[in-house]
Amino acid sequence: MPSMNEEKRYWRSLAEHATSPQQDEARPEFEAPLAPPTQQERRHFLKLSAASVALAGAAGCRWQEDHLLPHTQQPEGVVPGIPRYFMTAMELGGAGVGLKVKSYDGRPIKIDGNPAHPDSLGGSDARHQAAVLGLYDPDRSRGFSTLAEGGRKPASENEFRGFAREHFSALQAQKGRGLAVLAGESSSPSLADMKARWQARFPEARWFEYEPVSSPNERLGSRLAFGKVVRTRLILEKAKVIVSLDADILGSRPDSLALARAWSKGRQPEAGKMSRSYVFESSLSETGAVADHRFSLRAEHIKPLAAYLDAELSRRLAAPAALGAAQSAPSAKFLEDPELRKLLTAMIADLAIQPGASVVVVGATQPPEVHALVHRINAVLRNVGTTVQYLEGLDSSEPSAPEALRTLNEEIASGRVQTLLVLDSNPVYTAPGDIDFSAALAKVPRTICASLYVDETASLCSWHVPLAHFLEAWGDVRASDGTISIQQPLIAPLYGGKSAIEILAMLSGDELPWGLQIVQRALAPVVGNAAADPRLWRKSLHDGIVPGTAAAPDHPVLRPIASFEYAGGALSGLEAEPGQLELVLAPDPKIYDGRFANNGWLMELPDWATKLTWDNALLVSPKTAQVLGVTDSTLVTLSMETESVSVPVLVAPGQATGSVKLYLGYGRTAGGSVAGRALAGGSVHGEWDDQASVGVNAYRLRSKRLWDFARGANVKPTTEKYRMATTQDKHTIDRIGKFGTDDRLPMLVREASLTEYEEHPDFVKHAVHHPPLLSLWKDPVKYEGHRWGMSIDLNKCTGCSNCVVACQAENNVPTVGKDRVYMGREMHWLRIDRYFKGDPEQPEVVNQPIPCQQCEHAPCEQVCPVGATSHSHEGLNDMTYNRCIGTRYCSNNCPYKVRKFNFFNFHEDLKEEKNKVQQMVYNPEVTVRFRGVMEKCTYCVQRIQEGKFRASRENRPLRDGEVTTACQDSCPTQAIVFGDLNDPNSQVSQRKANQRDYSLLEELNVRPRTTYLALVRNPNPELG
Amino acid sequence: MQPFVFPRWSNKLVHLAGAVLSIAPLYLIGLVWYGASPRTLDVGYAPKQPVPYSHALHAGELGIDCRYCHQTVEKAATAAIPSTETCMNCHQRIHTRSPKLEPIRASAASGLPVQWTKVHDLPDYAYFNHSMHVDNGVGCASCHGRIDKMDVVAQHEPLSMGWCLDCHRAPEQFLRPVDEVTNMAYEPPSGQTQLATGLELRRAHEINPPTDCSTCHR
Repeated sequence: MPSMNEEKRYWRSLAEHATSPQQDEARPEFEAPLAPPTQQERRHFLKLSAASVALAGAAGCRWQEDHLLPHTQQPEGVVPGIPRYFMTAMELGGAGVGLKVKSYDGRPIKIDGNPAHPDSLGGSDARHQAAVLGLYDPDRSRGFSTLAEGGRKPASENEFRGFAREHFSALQAQKGRGLAVLAGESSSPSLADMKARWQARFPEARWFEYEPVSSPNERLGSRLAFGKVVRTRLILEKAKVIVSLDADILGSRPDSLALARAWSKGRQPEAGKMSRSYVFESSLSETGAVADHRFSLRAEHIKPLAAYLDAELSRRLAAPAALGAAQSAPSAKFLEDPELRKLLTAMIADLAIQPGASVVVVGATQPPEVHALVHRINAVLRNVGTTVQYLEGLDSSEPSAPEALRTLNEEIASGRVQTLLVLDSNPVYTAPGDIDFSAALAKVPRTICASLYVDETASLCSWHVPLAHFLEAWGDVRASDGTISIQQPLIAPLYGGKSAIEILAMLSGDELPWGLQIVQRALAPVVGNAAADPRLWRKSLHDGIVPGTAAAPDHPVLRPIASFEYAGGALSGLEAEPGQLELVLAPDPKIYDGRFANNGWLMELPDWATKLTWDNALLVSPKTAQVLGVTDSTLVTLSMETESVSVPVLVAPGQATGSVKLYLGYGRTAGGSVAGRALAGGSVHGEWDDQASVGVNAYRLRSKRLWDFARGANVKPTTEKYRMATTQDKHTIDRIGKFGTDDRLPMLVREASLTEYEEHPDFVKHAVHHPPLLSLWKDPVKYEGHRWGMSIDLNKCTGCSNCVVACQAENNVPTVGKDRVYMGREMHWLRIDRYFKGDPEQPEVVNQPIPCQQCEHAPCEQVCPVGATSHSHEGLNDMTYNRCIGTRYCSNNCPYKVRKFNFFNFHEDLKEEKNKVQQMVYNPEVTVRFRGVMEKCTYCVQRIQEGKFRASRENRPLRDGEVTTACQDSCPTQAIVFGDLNDPNSQVSQRKANQRDYSLLEELNVRPRTTYLALVRNPNPELG
Repeated sequence: MQPFVFPRWSNKLVHLAGAVLSIAPLYLIGLVWYGASPRTLDVGYAPKQPVPYSHALHAGELGIDCRYCHQTVEKAATAAIPSTETCMNCHQRIHTRSPKLEPIRASAASGLPVQWTKVHDLPDYAYFNHSMHVDNGVGCASCHGRIDKMDVVAQHEPLSMGWCLDCHRAPEQFLRPVDEVTNMAYEPPSGQTQLATGLELRRAHEINPPTDCSTCHR
């Protein structure tokens, strides 16, 4: 019997939502039934088995001879096999996050956040985690090359230097006329310094900053509101009410890791700290997933919504006259929606009674006037100074606009550019559809491209310079609050790459050619003369931040904001109008603007919301899909003005009606062997495996009119279907059909509102009722010594999936490719189950990370015929790979479905000479598993061992918090806590003493060591 | 036509075949048991090294402590093969022209490492940590044998899992005071048996080596 009413039902996919509980149908475990072998295959198999038996005898009696290569000169303080940690930083789109990198015998193998860095606080995101894989990517450019007849020709560094010396001294003589530089946005003080020097040397040269996914609107809005550019800093810890207008504050801002931590501090019901968040957004974001109230609204509706809020709040709170007139409440059709009306009324009352304790945020892509208006709203709410701060002087007064590339294109067309230097930018790929940048490049006589890969742009340039990876080069970055971090190299450039500042120094004939010198020169104002007195420099390197470099707070004066005019469909209703759909283009949560497209870890990471891997798809709301007559995986022609692409549809709950979304970054034509390349015609690089581009290139839809979002997209369905690999309905915990699902889901994710929690703090205990649990077995071990356990707080989990990649990096988890993900054979040791609840158009979302639960009465251990999985004295379910014979009984018997099987030897291609470099990414403390072996989460047993060894060497007990798991380290909100349950004071013991603590499937009496803290939401009681 | 009749002597063949068939499996099992065991295959493995370095001379006759060269043995998982520089500390003055030392001098000059051959080679899925053993009073000689008497280092013990477990289950058989770890000729104090001193040490230092799979396999 379904115990929950229709409204309260949880569901994982639309298919599941559509199935009525009465249809008791068990889902097949595998997507497609495996065909029985044909006669031919069977015979072949028998032949092979016979041959392998015969060959087994011929194999050598001793394994391969191994060699030991000691240092010739032992570096002081280096102990082989003891990892060392260094601070560095990674920049993305003009903001840097400080990182702590683990270096094992000179190889960087694992990255975590720098706890001292204001934008990290110890957390790190999936891109940081995957950076080591990018460093050792065998597809990276291996040297200089030139464009010659019949393709690219490798060149030596000296040849390039010879060319550069001659060419650039000639350019200097003509003051740099005809020279142009195209670079990405950067916060680096050294790059700014080099740019100034470059401009002094080549005064007539042009410098273009083009960042394909950054939006200047925030800065333009600040100028509208204050007359100058200031940066907004949010103090979320102090916010009791958070209102997000299409802003993914927890997921996609440069300071999201820190904001997520601050937000999580306000989600502790037992401490009486519960913030309340209202999110209005066009597509499900992490912020929306954890919101207490979420409303799917098209991006174009945000502007009138902001005006409405301004009008209402100004009236309620009597806005000071100095702020000027409020916006008039727009008569928008969508605002008449009764649900939205009710929500807004309650929200405005909530905001009005808590002045100074709320925060209103707007998404970066919203138009500048909305940004300006939100500054005003925060002022009206008296949030400025408490939850909202302004920082001065961080952003250049001239924001880089999407127009930069257009201007450059026009300059080239008019023949004013003779030499173009492209610095770590890929304009041929990222250019909007109405700019043919490859044609433009052909018109420039001398083009030099510095990039990590011989990508779409580099392959067309007359010179290519290999760029150093950020882990290979000196540099510096600024955090969102202005704090400077020095980016120090962890390894010498693998392929002789140069950093951007070194290339500028080389080309301009700077007296300091080396990155370190350039950085020290640029940072001299803040670290002093590092050569004469290196103390501050060394401290900055060690801590990962240069002290005292955060920007000073500013108190800008707000100007009156002109009243809004509305264009397009801003005032339209909520319903979808086919042919007038809103198209949103956004950077991919994993591969960003496409620069990480060749990173297998990121490609295979299931998108946190859609669970899609290895593709981008057009996200369409269920209602819109119905109107359009499309379903999941229908191939459609998406057109915007003159451009169109063919793309599969993914029906996404939480997507706003009438708004469709496509991620940028896919459809690379020269991306590498992971990202794919153009198969026919546009072949550019011979050495990659023949693999089609992954996904479709959404940049082609961009134009003057559409940058981030615009109305007017048309979706034309075709009859074709496209196969997408999602991990949606795989590895489900239940296998007993629909009745079971409905009954069980509320037990798996336990959830209550704050009021319910306050009335029944022990509500989790009542979610499941079962007879007294008796065991068939005696307790196998007494667990003297340590008793490891984990607690995951669902109240803090945003579903960001950083932990999944962190686990992959730590534990040598292979990637398997799209086809095998489709078959349900992905290897991630940690998956995040995402459940929806309620109406598919306006769903609530719950995220639940599922690693191995390390049961005390583990069902897997009882069925292993060879004792390959066994119970340790500390309560771990040990997995011994060299014993495993691959029966997969354990996986079959695991109620949580956390065991993964190596169907193939996923490291086979690393034997190839070209790919050998990728072996360097492996963690030597963890076995690299072979084909036919079962594997699963080990609680990072290698870290437990290392911790115990360290404590024993230092003759002291292991301290709480000394052993952390990789997932725990990466978690920005500290949702995951691991430790010793035998220590009553340990963090994990205290978590487990919390009344919200519950275990999954406790009625099975398997006694999992990983338990969860139930979710408590804080909905507005008025809306109850 | 007369049917073929087996000659009388062929009856013996049946017995013979029976005897062979019953013994052969036993023989084969015995052969594999003995022949494929690490005790047969690996003990005594003494590959030729690029430099004919004699432990008998350096550790035995000259009495250099193990840790002078294998300096990370107390700190890390591996005992570390000494750097070329360590050899040259002495050999830039002693035997400076010895042809046997040519590879060392070449390495010092070129900066390229000497390529030693690994003698004690554990499988890659076994994670052994020297520091944990040395710091708890397992002597070098317990696993490596009397290195101080070997001109060419040979494997002395099978290094098989069963052999590891023999000690992990009853470490008192081998424990010694930590400061005696590198003493190659260690004997328990006179009048005491190894078992008695071992048990005392085990109790005093709470040495309880785990036998969980994840102790060595991860």
